[in-house]
Amino acid sequence: MLQLDRISFSYGGGTLAIDGVTLRFEPGELVALTGPNGSGKSTLLKCAARVLVPQSGSIRLDDQESRQWLPKAYARAVGYLPQNPEPVVPIRAIDVVVSGRAPWLGRFSWESARDYEEAERALRLCDAAHLAERYLDEMSGGERKRIFLARVLAGEPRLILLDEPLTALDVAHVQQLAALLRQVVERTTATVIFSSHELNWSAAYADRMLVMNRGRVVMDGRPREVMTPEVMRDAFGFDAEAVTTAGRTWIVPRV
Amino acid sequence: MNSASDLRRLLFLIALLLAIVATAILVGVTFGASGAGLRTLFGSDPTARRIVMGIRLPRVLLAALEGAALAVAGLTFQTLLRNPLADPFILGVSGGAASGAAVGIALGIARRHPAAIPLLSFAGACGATAAVFLLARRRRGVDPIRLILSGLVLNSFFSAIILVSLSLSPNSDLTVAFRWMIGNLAGASWNDVIVLAVSLAVALVVLVWIANDLRLFSFGEEDASGRGVAVERVKLAGYATASLLTGAAVAVSGIIGFVGLLVPHLVRMAWRRDYRHLLPLSALAGAALVVTSDVVSRTIAPPLELPIGALTAFLGVPFFLLLLRRET
Repeated sequence: MLQLDRISFSYGGGTLAIDGVTLRFEPGELVALTGPNGSGKSTLLKCAARVLVPQSGSIRLDDQESRQWLPKAYARAVGYLPQNPEPVVPIRAIDVVVSGRAPWLGRFSWESARDYEEAERALRLCDAAHLAERYLDEMSGGERKRIFLARVLAGEPRLILLDEPLTALDVAHVQQLAALLRQVVERTTATVIFSSHELNWSAAYADRMLVMNRGRVVMDGRPREVMTPEVMRDAFGFDAEAVTTAGRTWIVPRV
Repeated sequence: MNSASDLRRLLFLIALLLAIVATAILVGVTFGASGAGLRTLFGSDPTARRIVMGIRLPRVLLAALEGAALAVAGLTFQTLLRNPLADPFILGVSGGAASGAAVGIALGIARRHPAAIPLLSFAGACGATAAVFLLARRRRGVDPIRLILSGLVLNSFFSAIILVSLSLSPNSDLTVAFRWMIGNLAGASWNDVIVLAVSLAVALVVLVWIANDLRLFSFGEEDASGRGVAVERVKLAGYATASLLTGAAVAVSGIIGFVGLLVPHLVRMAWRRDYRHLLPLSALAGAALVVTSDVVSRTIAPPLELPIGALTAFLGVPFFLLLLRRET
């Protein structure tokens, strides 16, 4: 459904943040985008979300150039969640979630009862229906992440791009949210691409793992192909051991 | 919670504020230095009539428009910059507008073409908006503290421009400079009312057009872009409109500070909702605040009159400090 063809991007001259990346994504995939800090993960997601326009290469959604899509139509198909969306004024969770319906609204129209139903459905899917009337600034980090995920889901996108949805969460919440991403893929048949530094959790839940380094995709494969000491050393720069228990491979840093 | 009950609540608040504005206007027209009472309003005395129609009514209407324009400008700056401390005066945009007018007066343009004053104010406001934005910009968005500091520095610069150009102007008179620097509604004319009413109408059309986009700025520009907003176009339209409002407001009354800061916050205290709700509510609450302040400034120590800009500063400065404490 999404096809990136030799795209390159740089922030105002200098080095390339994305350096000739070619990738293809199919419906119903849960894809983990990994790589060290500054390897281009966020930039790649922003290009795919049409927030940034690559200087060269082409991005095609459903075989149509992304630039040729109307912004709203593209936003209906692709739901993007930036790394740290911070509201500046206090806002209720339900208002955040229903704003995910924005791409479906006309210029002067207000959210209808149906939009609120979609928002509530998305909240239930994220196990956050009880938070609807609470204000965002009174919530924990994990609750907030679920609200923002619900907001993306409320827009009923077919492609979901999440920038580090697992960061700043404790272990229990990381597990909850990773499992939730799995559920989203299974229940909505959307494609989910999320960037993450949580290698083990990503490997446990994703169908496919990408490893980026200096703007290039250096690995693209199933989790067990990526979770090897060689990849960790070459792409991430740390010594690790691979430990296999109960049919799953875990990466353990060597100390 | 659904949109129907939201809409009912919005309409109720609009009706309530309209009633307050109407009352304030009525009170403003009734009370004044030359005698009070409804008799002056409905009586047949030609002098009283002239005072009401020629002096008080345009002044009170100008106060209402001034409040609406400044509140909407403040709300729009706060929304676009994602900074609750933004206000046309604090950002230096009002100062830029007044400088534009002052330079026009100094060069004698204003005497030959009085209509040039609002245009020069608008140009000054646009220049100041661009300047404060460029000064505060960082690689990732606008830094909130730099923004306030840039506005502070620009304000000093613009005060200097106003003082220099008005003291160098033919038959220089520093009370004129004073009038520009601290807002004043005395001497309001029907012409002023028309200039500001037309500017406000144009601005509201544009802002209603982009209201559904502006509310999505609350989580940042990248997030808005991801929701299908044409961010650059909306920003350009929003900044230009807020500058137009500030330019027109300053052109007819000098700098009245802090209205754009106070009003959107007071409205948010009553109802924490998005830009589409805050736009009409801020306009009406701004009108109510400035009309009331004007009545107070005229009647608190008759026959003396406080400059209204001083009054709004007395209200606004403690409020600003309170917000600053909460935000940082």
